[in-house]
Amino acid sequence: MMRTGKILRVAPGYNPNSSSLGVDVAFLLFGSIAVTTLTLVVGSAVRLWRRTPSSRRDGV
Amino acid sequence: MASDPPRFRYERFGGIVALSRPRSVAYLDREYARSIGFHDHPRWRGSAALGDGPLSAPTEVHLVLSRRCSAGCTGCYVGATPDGPALSEIDARAAIDRLAEMGVFHVALGGGEAVDLPYLLDVARHARRRGLVPNLTTSGLPVSDMFAREAAAVFGQINVSVDGLGAEYSRARGYDGFARAERALQLLRARTPHVGVNCVVSRDNADRLGPVVAWARSLRLSEVELLRFKPTGRGAGIFADRDLTPRQARLIYPRALWLGLRHHIRVKLDCSFAPMIFAWRPSRRVADFLGVLGCAGGDVLASIMPDGQWIGCSFGGPSEGHFRDPSVWERGFGAFRDFTTHAPEPCASCEYLALCRGGCRVVAAAAAGDWWQPDPGCPRVQRWKATHPKEPIGSSGPPPNHKLPVVA
Repeated sequence: MMRTGKILRVAPGYNPNSSSLGVDVAFLLFGSIAVTTLTLVVGSAVRLWRRTPSSRRDGV
Repeated sequence: MASDPPRFRYERFGGIVALSRPRSVAYLDREYARSIGFHDHPRWRGSAALGDGPLSAPTEVHLVLSRRCSAGCTGCYVGATPDGPALSEIDARAAIDRLAEMGVFHVALGGGEAVDLPYLLDVARHARRRGLVPNLTTSGLPVSDMFAREAAAVFGQINVSVDGLGAEYSRARGYDGFARAERALQLLRARTPHVGVNCVVSRDNADRLGPVVAWARSLRLSEVELLRFKPTGRGAGIFADRDLTPRQARLIYPRALWLGLRHHIRVKLDCSFAPMIFAWRPSRRVADFLGVLGCAGGDVLASIMPDGQWIGCSFGGPSEGHFRDPSVWERGFGAFRDFTTHAPEPCASCEYLALCRGGCRVVAAAAAGDWWQPDPGCPRVQRWKATHPKEPIGSSGPPPNHKLPVVA
């Protein structure tokens, strides 16, 4: 099976606040379930994005 | 607003992708980045471990557009005044350009009262054009219906500062502005769902956060972010009276959890509350995955002040150099980045050190009198002090020649 690597970290949401990283505490409560869910959702979004031809530009 | 295309930035461990659907910033390892079509990069030399050094650029930057505000909040952490300094529009745009070149994803525009600046929306639109997501914090006092309509079209998230309801707002801020803040929230919420509340938690309101969260829910807001009271600006003089009691500090994490579940709204804690979260011993793996970090100044985040100077955190720290100097990010921020390697006890033996990073440096500097001491509000630090009464918490600090240039 082809190795696909790992999503190491997901920081959900936008942070409008002055220099403070906001942590949504509910994700912590749900532990591994939150990790699995975020990995699946974010992974799907990333792979969907990279399938579109216009996304093939390299990063910064 | 249409969703923005994702953006990717190479990092030593692989890369970071910023998404607008779902709104998130995801760190990918090299293998994952390769699997979605990114190629090997010069940054992929050496260690591939996340956390083995600072990021190549912050993921978000707080652009402090001004120290100008007429509200006069008693605890204003930038000590804003009606005629305080402000970054000019030209400089603000140039700062945005610099952040775009660095690959920064999000910029938090604030002050002072950023909404008072006539060029705020133009700067935010410029950020959008350069691929950054602009977000905004405001007191809400100057928000009009026209501003709400235009702001909703450009900002990713807008939070209004509200530390209590009715008379509690007046007690916390020193003036009666609750009705106007509530009106601002209603105007903004009528235009966008991405509106929330920033609530500074102090000794006075820590036991009465429920009504604020319930009220935010009743306005159909998206989040309540709880922020620790900081001993900076005008807050420095009243910190001793406003700082949380040890019991309040210990309970802030379960309280935030309960309030979020009870009222079905996202409740967030700011990074200075990290020691209070880690005191409950959550899974390190999960906390790391979710980016639950203590002081991430000079790494994940940083600030640019109204004089154009980089600073690790807008609450404090040394000026690192002007934003126009492209070498600052690489060579600066030692006051933030070096704590974990110099951490004294009890931080040195704490299993959460790599995540917590000693809690809030600004609180340590103001309350303990030493930038390099552990955060005195940390429950573990307080327990350690109680069990080691004769052993002062010493500052291991940086070595005496720290950051001095090598003379050939």
